[in-house]
Amino acid sequence: MSLLRVRVADVQQITPLIKQFTLVAADGTELPSFSGGSHIVVAMNVEGRIHRNPYSLMSAPEDRHAYKIAVRLQEKSRGGSVHMHTAVNVGAVLDITYPVNLFALDRRARKHILIAGGVGITPFMSQIADLQRMAANYELHYAYRAHKHGAFTEFIKSTSADQAHFYVENEGGVLDIRALLAKQPLGTHVYVCGPNSMVVSVLATARDLGWPDRHIHSEQFAAPPAGEPFRLKLAKSNIELVVPAELSMLEAIEAAGVDAPYLCRGGACGRCELDVISNDGVIMHHDHYLSDAEKAAGKKIMPCVSRARCDLLELNI
Amino acid sequence: MERGYWIRSKPVYSTLIWQAYATAHLILVEGAAGAMAALKLFQQMQPEQQVSVFYLKDTNADNRLGETLNKVAPDDFFVHDSSETLLIGLDHYLSKAKMGLHIYVAGAEKFMWSIADVASRYGVVDGDIHKELTGTLARSVYCVHCKTITHEAHTNIKQCDGCGRMLFVRDHFSRRFGAYMGLMVDAEAPGEIPDIEEIYP
Repeated sequence: MSLLRVRVADVQQITPLIKQFTLVAADGTELPSFSGGSHIVVAMNVEGRIHRNPYSLMSAPEDRHAYKIAVRLQEKSRGGSVHMHTAVNVGAVLDITYPVNLFALDRRARKHILIAGGVGITPFMSQIADLQRMAANYELHYAYRAHKHGAFTEFIKSTSADQAHFYVENEGGVLDIRALLAKQPLGTHVYVCGPNSMVVSVLATARDLGWPDRHIHSEQFAAPPAGEPFRLKLAKSNIELVVPAELSMLEAIEAAGVDAPYLCRGGACGRCELDVISNDGVIMHHDHYLSDAEKAAGKKIMPCVSRARCDLLELNI
Repeated sequence: MERGYWIRSKPVYSTLIWQAYATAHLILVEGAAGAMAALKLFQQMQPEQQVSVFYLKDTNADNRLGETLNKVAPDDFFVHDSSETLLIGLDHYLSKAKMGLHIYVAGAEKFMWSIADVASRYGVVDGDIHKELTGTLARSVYCVHCKTITHEAHTNIKQCDGCGRMLFVRDHFSRRFGAYMGLMVDAEAPGEIPDIEEIYP
């Protein structure tokens, strides 16, 4: 997979938990353009292990001089966000993937409703730039826990004063999803990015109100959860390895020197899908890509976030 | 026609079924055959939500099924003599509609795609509209040479209303035009027109 080498040009502490990194091309050239909602995967070397985490691009899509990403310090970090917060400073060089968009705006929409929770605001920053350029009809509904955790609120107020609505939880702000979705004109699309409970609630409410699936968009990057170690057999590569508790299956496959496909590394895109040949236990599906029926069938697995509770899992790679 | 021949752009229509998750329903039907499709819908159940019906009068003046549908439909029932007034009424209706409205159409392709065209101005995409093909299989044909759309093609070859060329009616379908692609059939051997047969009755 071809990568872009970038240099950290600026680091800003945005909230107590969020840092913003400005990335420029290491060779001083322009970066590839992208569309609102795109993300990159940042590779980082944490104590000799390569971590790859997806982050939404927050800069304006037409700005080719720099990319901006925001990194929230995760309480249950596997090392990636802690590394970004503590070890990545101005001047650091990182390898990133080319931008990929799994959360694109539907330009046929008559109106766009953007719903953000906490650091889930990040993909909307570049979408808002697109929406303003298109002079599109949109609203942003942004919920966060406390005033100090409201990232980029000043910027949003300066660009979307008429479109933005803020809900500060500890000040009693409540986003009534049902009331919001019930009054939208025909042809509206809804986009949600935030904590799992918020995403699930928006998806369920929209479907309950009869919104067609193609009008409902969500993005969640799952971090690969830790689990129990298990043996993994790679049939085509003829390799057997152990997936340790704290590594994802994809990371373990990469560490064994096998070139496995991936894009988002967050269980969203489906690129890393592998066929299960055999399995003597239970697959723990953590992705948002496979259908419930496919998960139940157990013939496919997303190694970026999913794992197995078993003795031996055999994959066709 | 060749076995297994299939063009991806050719629309596939189905039988109308109420959508369980909805806040309102809008049914648009063309003539007696379309009314029958809507009557079958009401055979399934009477939905809890508001149901509005647009009925385009039958070209053969057979409006008995339309009258039956009027008796079955619980709420708004709008009767139109022409597709032009029906589309104006639809435009007005959609301008006030909210997300959660489901749209059901039963009629010939020309009727269905003229409705899809109006709905697209309100952000409704093709896949959002539930469609049942009734009445005629007649095709609208888009001439790739002069861009004219000729309606009511019942035959494999149809003369273009615009340039007069004899067009072979293909299966390639444009959702934007609501028409099938038509190509000059005798371009390589002028005057050699294959047998013209009615295959879209």
